[in-house]
Amino acid sequence: METLFFLIVAAIAVICSLMVVTNKNPINSALSLIMTFFCLATLYVMLEAPFMAAIQVIVYAGAIMVLIVFVIMLLNIKSEAGRRTSHALFMGISVGLLLLVQTWYLLVKSSLSSVRGTVDSAMISKVGHTELIGKSLFTDFLLPFEITSILLLVAIVGAVVLSKKKL
Amino acid sequence: MDTIAIPAINLAVIAPEVVLSVVAMALLLINVFVKSEQKGYLGYLSIAGILGTLLMLIPAWGSSVEGFSGTIIQDNFAIFFKVIFLISAAMSILITDKYLEREGCNQGEIYPLILFATVGMMLMASGTDLMTIFLGLEVLSVSLYVLAGFNRNNIKSNEAGLKYFLLGAFSTGFLLYGMALTYGATGTTKIAKIASYIAMNGVSSSNLMLVAGMILMSTGFAFKVAAAPFHMWTPDVYEGAPTPMTAFMSVGPKAAGFAAFARVLLVALPALKPEWSSLLWVLAVLTMTVGNITALYQQNIKRMLAYSSIAHAGYILVGFTAGNAVGTAGILFYMLSYAFMNIGAFAIIILVGKKGEENSNVSDYAGFGYRHPVLGIAFCIFLFSLAGIPPAAGFIGKFYLFSGAIQAGYIWLAVIGVLNSAASVYYYLRVMVFMYFKEPTEDFEWVKLTPAFVLCLLIAVIGVLVPGVLPGLFLELAQKAVLM
Amino acid sequence: MLDNVWLIPLFPLIGFLINGLFGKKIKNEAVIGGIGTLMIFLSFLVSCGILMQLVGMPPEQRVFEKVMFPWIHAGSFKADMAFLVDPLSAVMLMVVTGVGSLIHLYSIGYMHGEEGFYRFFAYLNLFCMSMLLLVLGANMLVMFIGWEGVGLCSYLLIGYYFEKKSAGDAAKKAFVMNRVGDFGFLLGLFVLFWWFGSNHNIWTINFVEIKAASHLLPYGGVVTLATLCFFVGATGKSAQIPLFTWLPDAMEGPTPVSALIHAATMVTAGVYMIARMSFVFIKAPETMMVVAVVGALTAIFAATIGTAQNDIKRVLAYSTVSQLGFMFLAMGVGAFGAGIFHLMTHAFFKACLFLGSGSVIHAMHHALHKGHLHDDAQDMRNMGGLRKALPITFITFLVSTIAIAGIPGFSGFFSKDEILWQAFANPYHGSLNILLWGIGCIAACFTAFYMFRLVFMTFFGECRINPKVKEYLHESPLVITIPLMVLGFLAFVGGFIGMPKLLGMLPNYFEHWLDPVFELANEYGKQYAHSGAHHSHALEFGLMAFSVVVALIGISIAYTMYMANKSLPEKFTSAFPGLYKVVYNKWYVDEIYDFLFVNPCKSFGNLLWKGFDVVIVDGVVNGTAKLVMAFSAGLKGLQSGYVHNYAMGMAIGVVTIIAVYVFR
Repeated sequence: METLFFLIVAAIAVICSLMVVTNKNPINSALSLIMTFFCLATLYVMLEAPFMAAIQVIVYAGAIMVLIVFVIMLLNIKSEAGRRTSHALFMGISVGLLLLVQTWYLLVKSSLSSVRGTVDSAMISKVGHTELIGKSLFTDFLLPFEITSILLLVAIVGAVVLSKKKL
Repeated sequence: MDTIAIPAINLAVIAPEVVLSVVAMALLLINVFVKSEQKGYLGYLSIAGILGTLLMLIPAWGSSVEGFSGTIIQDNFAIFFKVIFLISAAMSILITDKYLEREGCNQGEIYPLILFATVGMMLMASGTDLMTIFLGLEVLSVSLYVLAGFNRNNIKSNEAGLKYFLLGAFSTGFLLYGMALTYGATGTTKIAKIASYIAMNGVSSSNLMLVAGMILMSTGFAFKVAAAPFHMWTPDVYEGAPTPMTAFMSVGPKAAGFAAFARVLLVALPALKPEWSSLLWVLAVLTMTVGNITALYQQNIKRMLAYSSIAHAGYILVGFTAGNAVGTAGILFYMLSYAFMNIGAFAIIILVGKKGEENSNVSDYAGFGYRHPVLGIAFCIFLFSLAGIPPAAGFIGKFYLFSGAIQAGYIWLAVIGVLNSAASVYYYLRVMVFMYFKEPTEDFEWVKLTPAFVLCLLIAVIGVLVPGVLPGLFLELAQKAVLM
Repeated sequence: MLDNVWLIPLFPLIGFLINGLFGKKIKNEAVIGGIGTLMIFLSFLVSCGILMQLVGMPPEQRVFEKVMFPWIHAGSFKADMAFLVDPLSAVMLMVVTGVGSLIHLYSIGYMHGEEGFYRFFAYLNLFCMSMLLLVLGANMLVMFIGWEGVGLCSYLLIGYYFEKKSAGDAAKKAFVMNRVGDFGFLLGLFVLFWWFGSNHNIWTINFVEIKAASHLLPYGGVVTLATLCFFVGATGKSAQIPLFTWLPDAMEGPTPVSALIHAATMVTAGVYMIARMSFVFIKAPETMMVVAVVGALTAIFAATIGTAQNDIKRVLAYSTVSQLGFMFLAMGVGAFGAGIFHLMTHAFFKACLFLGSGSVIHAMHHALHKGHLHDDAQDMRNMGGLRKALPITFITFLVSTIAIAGIPGFSGFFSKDEILWQAFANPYHGSLNILLWGIGCIAACFTAFYMFRLVFMTFFGECRINPKVKEYLHESPLVITIPLMVLGFLAFVGGFIGMPKLLGMLPNYFEHWLDPVFELANEYGKQYAHSGAHHSHALEFGLMAFSVVVALIGISIAYTMYMANKSLPEKFTSAFPGLYKVVYNKWYVDEIYDFLFVNPCKSFGNLLWKGFDVVIVDGVVNGTAKLVMAFSAGLKGLQSGYVHNYAMGMAIGVVTIIAVYVFR
């Protein structure tokens, strides 16, 4: 049952992401992307990561995609001109397929040999996913967490520098 | 609800980074109140901040302190690299002001961005957790994307920023994927724990996931250091970016890339040494050859130096391939001297250039050596050092890298390296031939030295000649800073 | 005195700094030139002191290493800034500083009034410092620094007249060819370093230490590889086949430069390097063979070309290449002492010849300038009969020419004959001996021919310079002629210290002096060449006589062709008017000679010069360059500027690498 569900969700995710790339209308692409994000959120739920699923929906599908759609509408981007060099397309597809084959081979041949962490389903249901993530952010990954703030600051400054009208 | 046991936070470990970030943020605020023609003062303030950071680093030399539950470390290796970053940042800032004025994009934000980029590099050199390294790299990259496209009036600069951003994001994907695979194979992102896990559980090259993780991380770092075949962004971005930023980008981020690269491969994955050294062997040969051969063809001096910087990444990869103490010390020494010689060369290019990046063809240097003898000699010193001709520091560095490779038994690699550096003389020499053996076509009247430039060139010349003539001290420091 | 060996390179460095930094402000030529000359002369005095001290020591103790400071220490790798004084480097010191001082002195007069006078002396001093580093280096790295330094200075000095395009091109050619050689040197260094390190855990590049460990080296194999690499380095620096074409072009530089760098010192660096590592080279019989053959071929090849040149400096340049070939021949047959001996005598007479030619050019130039003529001041066809106008130059030039031609009693005879004898008698190359000796003899004959042709065309016969300016021809000032006289004197007597045992008047001081240096090499040589056939004194004497005869033949051909037939016409003019026309045309002897000897010879020379030099050597060099450039253009094509292409390139790279490692 679970496998079947996974396959359905995964298939939708793959199809949607293909549509993101192939659609000529940017709005359609953006909407397909939102769909993909929802599928990913579903997958997170299946992996017993409800917090991640919620964040995925709220931040990506909610905030970021809305922003993207707004930008598309503001700039009034028309359908893409649609000139694609065929050999580039061919190369792209073949390299992509090769990468796929390699990934498959990798998955078949290698084993997940690492230690299992202390976090398992029982613990998640007992303590709660959000709290576990919070704890690890404030203990093990405190510094990376703090660095993120600088990263965001830099991104904001950069956006302002590159886009503000009058210098 | 149980309390969170916050681990020992050793603030002293990240003190230099904190200071520099605070200075950068303060500059962002001060910038608002500074008139557009006085933005240069921000540069001096940022240099003061850099000097302060340097002063904080010096007492830490010799110790090795971890902090933040093993996500960061302050050891000699990190300090050596941080000094390189700070020097290159300070020297680039010295030559920025005049350039911005000339190009008419006098914005004060450039200084905080340079400082943030430096913070990112410092985190990369210090990071002992894949997450820290990754985030440091992102802080650096985002700042650089903006810096590359900083000259908004110039379409080439815009293009450079966008190109760098797109390709950088692409390569980041590989890097992150590699980190994820490594995490999957070892169950941790901490570098020391990865190594101990591998050692305890006898995981080796038979574990394909680990190998793939190593490869993908390597490609991510190879992009950052501009190693072939991940180098293609380099010439376009270097040519388009504002020249002081090109100088900065060709030195600091490259060094940071090597620092993180070295820590990941040498400390976390020594078990995979046969794999990664053969990979690096190929990368080194490709990088040197592609860089040097393409440089032969270039007419634009910025592009030529871009390819030459690719070639130099190749020389450093030679020392890296060796993976021994001599090779690693060679990387450190070479990176230090490369900072001086490359930024020095770019400083001269800025001086000779005119608004809108004109005058950056090799033939525009005809007779320059006689119009401005002192600048001409300084340029020659930098070019000689780049070409690896004694007694400049570049020679000692190359010699060291190659002898590291030889000690590790990579004779052919050293042979290819020496051949390459022989070929490289041709295009460096071409500039000198134009400077001294061609009739001047222009009077170079617009070349005006400011005190900041004089200081930058002075530092660069000293930094090239002193380690070249008396390399003992610097090599000793580099040896104390190696990771083994 | 030995402890003060560091003063020797220091003085020229000081000179370089003073002239380089303040020369432009000093302006006074006498002061600039005086400082430059004084500095190298001080080095000469210190060198003399060191030589005296060495002489006073027992032969086996004549090795002294002075460590200035630890330079590069990296784990097992160690290189100090250190100087090595032994009989070999002492000889080189004397040559470099002695001849160097004279040429500095000469330059004060020769370069008078040139723009950038200070620059010239600064470079010249820098060159001397580099050369002294090269000579004194106690390890290969210090030697390499000097090695690169002299190449750099040679580049700067050849391109001294940078406003001439040909000078810039020549400088570049010299530098690039030198660099090709340099990489050979570095590779050889690496191979040797690695072999000792990985097989015997001796990580050293110090000459003394390598010498001490040289018994570990096998015969052939890796030693052949290393020595061949070194030899590539030597061919570049010393202008041997195939890397010799830069030297004739290098004549674009001022004449003192040609004398100092391209005759007496720098170009002999390759010979010196082989001598310095004789104990390594001798262990590679194949390399020795290559060295000998290349040396012999270069000797004869350059000599034939020399016969077809009309530019006075070019003749001397090819002559230098040829004489260097003799030195390499000596090295290749294991006659290290003889090679160094020839190096020394050659430094005397060739420096004298170059300076003499400089004096001639100086006078010609001066005269032509006064007459506002634009004839070529270096073309011998414009000269003739100059012996009256330039008596001192003529005499010193003649002495040196006799010396190089190999007439007994003059220095060149002793050294060249020693080489020829050793080429004949050496036990190393089997039946190749006779061939090497034969080639050497023919080359010697050619040498005598073209050198006397040069003398006859320049100093004898009627004056072919435009009569208008004849009166302006006069001898150069003392500052130019004094060095000529000293060098001419040395070219005459310099050979007596190395007189062969056979003639027995004096013991062969020179060979004994160098014995401690080459003892080990000779021992190694004996180990693989057991059958050193014993040759009788009569044979040696006979060969010596033969080589003299050969030289005389060369001279007499030159005499007949460029002197004798010219005086014939006048006697016959009045007595036989009918014959007048024929006689007026000098019996058409010139034409016959031209047809029979000169033309074939010239065209052969031209053929070699044009055919080999231009087509093959330049062709290969240019061809490689073109290939590289085409490749470079191809790579540039990949750089399309499209982001998606770059991303594709990266993706292909990643896929390929993963494929290699995952699907192994």
